[in-house]
Amino acid sequence: MPDTNADKRIDPATKRLVRTGVETVLNPFDEYAIEAALQLKEKLNDGSTVTIVSMTPATGKEIVRKALAMGADDAVMVSDDALAGSDLWGTAVALAAAIAAQGPDLVITGTQSTDAISGDLPGMLGEKLGFPSLTYARTLEVADGRVRVQRETETGYMTISAALPAVVSVTKSANEPRYPSLKGIMGAKKKEIKQLAAADLGLTVAVGTDGAKAQLTDVATPPARAKGQVVNAADGAQGAQTIITFLKERKFL
Amino acid sequence: MQNVIAFIEHKHGAIRRSSLEAATQARTLADKLGGKALAVVAGPGAPNAAETLKKYPLDAIHVSDEDRFLDGAVDALESVAKGAGASLVLVGNTMVGRDVGSRFAARVDCGVNADVVDFRVEGGVVSCVMPKLGGLVITTCTLTGSDFGVAAIRPNVFAAKETSGAGEIVQIPSNGKASTVTVEDEVEEAAAELGVEEASVVVSGGRGMGGPEPFTTILKDLADAFGGAVGASRAAVDAGWVSHGHQVGQTGKTISPQLYIAVGISGAIQHKVGMRTSETIVAINKDGSAPIAEFADLLVVGDAFAIIPELTKLVRDAKAAHA
Repeated sequence: MPDTNADKRIDPATKRLVRTGVETVLNPFDEYAIEAALQLKEKLNDGSTVTIVSMTPATGKEIVRKALAMGADDAVMVSDDALAGSDLWGTAVALAAAIAAQGPDLVITGTQSTDAISGDLPGMLGEKLGFPSLTYARTLEVADGRVRVQRETETGYMTISAALPAVVSVTKSANEPRYPSLKGIMGAKKKEIKQLAAADLGLTVAVGTDGAKAQLTDVATPPARAKGQVVNAADGAQGAQTIITFLKERKFL
Repeated sequence: MQNVIAFIEHKHGAIRRSSLEAATQARTLADKLGGKALAVVAGPGAPNAAETLKKYPLDAIHVSDEDRFLDGAVDALESVAKGAGASLVLVGNTMVGRDVGSRFAARVDCGVNADVVDFRVEGGVVSCVMPKLGGLVITTCTLTGSDFGVAAIRPNVFAAKETSGAGEIVQIPSNGKASTVTVEDEVEEAAAELGVEEASVVVSGGRGMGGPEPFTTILKDLADAFGGAVGASRAAVDAGWVSHGHQVGQTGKTISPQLYIAVGISGAIQHKVGMRTSETIVAINKDGSAPIAEFADLLVVGDAFAIIPELTKLVRDAKAAHA
């Protein structure tokens, strides 16, 4: 996905996001998922391994490599032109198939991606895998075949648990993702990135653009917000009065 | 699609505002589709919520009071939707709404559109209008290829209106399943307050606040005077002055209040994308050349610490005069 801090532009001709000149980065939300997986592996210290699964165009290989440099053991990249244009449902179907083939005990995801801003995938993966899903986790522990998390709520948290295998999505409060070390970066070059095409997934339904159940029919650019008034306030009272007058004109008060 | 089902999120029977918006919008869309407007409410306290829903224009209110956390909600929705046939499901674009809506979509293999701000209905086909990339583009997506579809509506965009509707209350039969997830405890860390997504007025503070204190004093007082909520920029959240739940922007929440007041916030792109679809934006900043000058409807250049308390007084006076 494109760098979060870059201003984004839409090409008026193609109506697609301009990616040229914008560095592609690992989804920042996914870094928390990778960190949570690595911390869990280190804590369990029982021979558990961390596998990265990513559905990405072939150009995403360097991003997968970065995840390996953070310390993951191996990776599975699902890349196929036939998957391009998949909607959320199609993405969940394809990713669940790739994940199921790895036989995981625990699937950890980020809470959302910042480019499409959608927190829907974790629960959808849970349904497709037949695993319980524990979303918005800010802590994560595994013991005696169960996973227990603190799920964030709008006003606090709830402690929830489920039997493994399960899907957990972690929030940015969960940890502080590590930077890849030089040793990690060197080591990542030797780690396996398994390539999967759509045909390898054994799908019985059409995904990609043709199978999408949410079909994009229009992309429009809204008019830019016009520059408004700028007023210098000599003191607090004058500044407050300026705002009140403005709000009364607009019928807020 | 023909019928429209509103999924109702509630806490022990107290319904979230976005769900009342979903219930009201369900009627509007069902009329356009020529079908029924239904509600599904599940979990402890659901019968109380159902009583409240009688004041909304629904044909039927389906209730399950089984305590099975999100599993119970998804199962209830699935059973009602399959019973009703081709249906659009409306959920609030909230943590629980998104969890339940997306799981339902995965189960019945249908499309899901999130953060919907408008609908188009043509020939029985529903299209959802959604701002993407923080309002940089407005996309329209059609729900197709299934009898069902899910739309997560952005809170505070659709109206919630009580009417004389008297939906019939229908019990959802138990499917006898146990919850796959066990709830061990629930802890309230903050007083239940209006979230920034649902407030019609949001007063946000940024780096210019200089510390945590203004978020619980002057900003909070102004927000309270409006009956609104306190928001924050990433700089303020990263500095630890206020919790992440208040953050507006790319790595926080995207909101569309009627009035957004940005205090000591420069208006970097990262923040702008979270609030630029606000109806009206007022900014207070020491720097008249801050980026926010380019898109605020009104920028007052001055000392926020002097302006805000005065403003709070004037807002209270104006509200009192109307009361």
